[in-house]
Amino acid sequence: MNERERRDFEAGLSAEVDAWLRGEPTRRTFITRFGQALGMLPLAGGVLGSLTEHALAQAALDLADPTTPLGKAQASALKASTEGPADGSAYRAVQAAKKYKGVTLNMTYESGLQALDPRNFSGPVWEQLTGIKSNVVELSHPDQYSKPIAEHIAQSGAYDVLDIEPAWTPSLADGGVIQPLDELMAKYINQDDLNDYHPLYKALPTYKGKVWGFFDDGDMFALYYRKDIFDDAKLKESYQKKFGKPLQVPKTWEDYTQVAQFITDNMAPQVYGAGHFRKAGSPGNQYDFLQQYRANNGVLFDGNMKAQLNSPAGIKTLENMIAANKASIPGNNELDAVSLWAAFLQGKVAMIYSWPPTGRMAANYSQSAKAINFIPQSSIAGKVGYAIVPGGHPEHATGYNKALAADSSNAEAAYLFMQWVTSPPVSLARVMLPYSLRDPYRLSHFKSDLYRALWPDAKDYLINLNDSANVGLLDMIMPGWQDYALSLDRMCSSVWADTDPKTALQTAAEEWDATTERLGTESQKAFYDEYRKLPGSSADHTVASMGMAVKLD
Amino acid sequence: MSTSVRLETAAVGSLPPLSALSEWSDRHFRWLLVAPAVLLILALSIYPLLFSAWVAFVNYDFQIPGHAFVGLKNFRAVVYDPVARWSLALTAMLSAANVAIELLLGLGLALAMVRNFPGRGLVMSVLIVPLFISPVIVGQAWALLLQRPFGPTNYILSQIVGHDVTISWLSQSPWIYFSLILADVWQWTPFMFVVLLAGLTSIPPNLYEAAELDGVSAWQAFWAITIPFLRPMILLAVTFRLLDAIKLFDTIFIMTSGGPGTKTYTASYYLYTIGFTQFHLSQATAGSWIFLIVTAVVVGLLVRQLLRPEVA
Repeated sequence: MNERERRDFEAGLSAEVDAWLRGEPTRRTFITRFGQALGMLPLAGGVLGSLTEHALAQAALDLADPTTPLGKAQASALKASTEGPADGSAYRAVQAAKKYKGVTLNMTYESGLQALDPRNFSGPVWEQLTGIKSNVVELSHPDQYSKPIAEHIAQSGAYDVLDIEPAWTPSLADGGVIQPLDELMAKYINQDDLNDYHPLYKALPTYKGKVWGFFDDGDMFALYYRKDIFDDAKLKESYQKKFGKPLQVPKTWEDYTQVAQFITDNMAPQVYGAGHFRKAGSPGNQYDFLQQYRANNGVLFDGNMKAQLNSPAGIKTLENMIAANKASIPGNNELDAVSLWAAFLQGKVAMIYSWPPTGRMAANYSQSAKAINFIPQSSIAGKVGYAIVPGGHPEHATGYNKALAADSSNAEAAYLFMQWVTSPPVSLARVMLPYSLRDPYRLSHFKSDLYRALWPDAKDYLINLNDSANVGLLDMIMPGWQDYALSLDRMCSSVWADTDPKTALQTAAEEWDATTERLGTESQKAFYDEYRKLPGSSADHTVASMGMAVKLD
Repeated sequence: MSTSVRLETAAVGSLPPLSALSEWSDRHFRWLLVAPAVLLILALSIYPLLFSAWVAFVNYDFQIPGHAFVGLKNFRAVVYDPVARWSLALTAMLSAANVAIELLLGLGLALAMVRNFPGRGLVMSVLIVPLFISPVIVGQAWALLLQRPFGPTNYILSQIVGHDVTISWLSQSPWIYFSLILADVWQWTPFMFVVLLAGLTSIPPNLYEAAELDGVSAWQAFWAITIPFLRPMILLAVTFRLLDAIKLFDTIFIMTSGGPGTKTYTASYYLYTIGFTQFHLSQATAGSWIFLIVTAVVVGLLVRQLLRPEVA
């Protein structure tokens, strides 16, 4: 240190001492406090961690009155989990999972109502039975696809159990995001419980000969209509006079449009003939287009994997959908699924086709839970009939598989949870929860006396869901589904805004071809061929046409 | 006291071991202070920027295995994508319309509020409330107001004009654009208002007094005094707003989901869809770079204007 540096240093030191004596912060105090703050970090981490854990903890177990059908189903699920039968999948899962006591499973669920099941029922019950905690990660529906991919790329191991659309299975399996369950199933599951799935749903988690999850949500479209309107003598007479045939629940899409227009002409503005969720992306027009297009014998791809959307079947489908829109409630093209429910429950619409919660809401069963009070009380309870959608081939729109994350550090515990939660007795209690959006999918659900006792027409509702599954169609279970579906949604919503149907079909077909080319035409052809083997891949290849239809009384 | 400290230090002769560290920290203290921020910027900005440059030139698509080098293919995919071109054009049109309307309304409000009047504080507080609301909430609120058949807008308009109004605000051109502009203008006009009001209050009042003595009309004073003096603030407000407006995403996401078709795809919404709905990360990254360059040119021009020295 030379003389000048020494002078500078001493001046600095004395200035610092003076500042210290004046009570001002000095560099030394800064460094000291910075060090203290760093030292506090581990402590803060612990405190914040416990606070976060508390904030995110599942709610206390919420069990129904044991004298109600739901309460009885829940008691039955608990009994099967603790007392057996010993070869039941629920009992086996619980017994095997006890060794993982203290583990926390991170599971993705769609945000909102779907997540209430693991928060209020299945999560707390599982913890009571096994000591395994659950951390429910709520994601928007698109994020249920993108977040697991992002976490897999980052290799974070953030999730153990994933709720995914069956149509995402090929992409997520090939991308290494999920892992097959065959070995664990061979070790733990009761095969009879697999045979309890409706044939349409049984094959959904299977891909390339391996099983990639448990099917867990029967999202079958069905037609819900106002019986009182279809029974109205004056309307029936008027319809007969006008069209020379009786007014009845429509069986074809042309009849559907005609009946909807007739009701609108005669009853608007009190009641309109129909309503549809047509808003872009909410949840998407692709499901409705696909069910009508395939019911009109539309083909998705030709032998060279060229999109066949721009075809007479495509034109016919869009033209009928446009006519149906015109026959519908004002603002039809701006409705999302929830707004459509609201319109139906308020008695403004005579017919809608939508997901199974429609039936539970229309009967006011769902609204018995506070969580679902954003849906209005049904003014049409007891007046709603159930039917297969016109055209005879309803879409199984999305649905859910429970899948095991490939990066899970608790893979076996996660698997056991999935086996338990989808087992016949536990899944029955879950699909009966009024606030949950899980819909019946097992034969034991459709046959359940407890479910059939939930409201006066519940039996008809379950039989209709089963019958719909017999003739139902599946989303395209192949890589690129997200892209193909987005193209259809854009196509439809642009047509609602006056784009010429032929032009819109051509644009969508070009987008489909671009997607196919990007993913590899040959490999996509192989995937498409696999898909076509599934029951429900086309109108002439359904559970019923393959001789596997389930008949219920 | 400081003298005695100096003496004691001198008496010791050689500095204790800690003093060497203290001396070093004394000399490099400013670098130590900025080091965490620099490291943070490097980690969170420079590294992702370099990584994104790499992603733009390889195949980084979740559904396609591997990361093969593809040259300019991703950029070509964006340039030749009609949806991308439309989204860029719409971004330019909506940004220009939003900022122009907000500037005019903000200036009008600022001129009205520059003089004191009873209740001015309260009115100002109410006027700037939209600034504090999340754009997602703004989008949701306007969607509820405009949606058919449940929103009240058409009903109120019907009452005013005396016959049925059946406008599809959220699904039909050109009404969807009016709706998006309405939501944006409602939220961001207060920003223009606040900035321009600050500019107006900084204009010396004696200029107006002198102009009045010279018989200058209010209109002439507005063009000869207010606008020239306010020009830097106008440029500043327009630059800031434009930077924000070209990122328009939230209200689109909530109000229209990009529809009908792709009619309300802005550049941000397009990139989001490609990147996080379809997961074509390479194409989305290439598109982001193109968008960044276009934006940088526009903003660069504005900033040049902003930094141009005042002519005396």
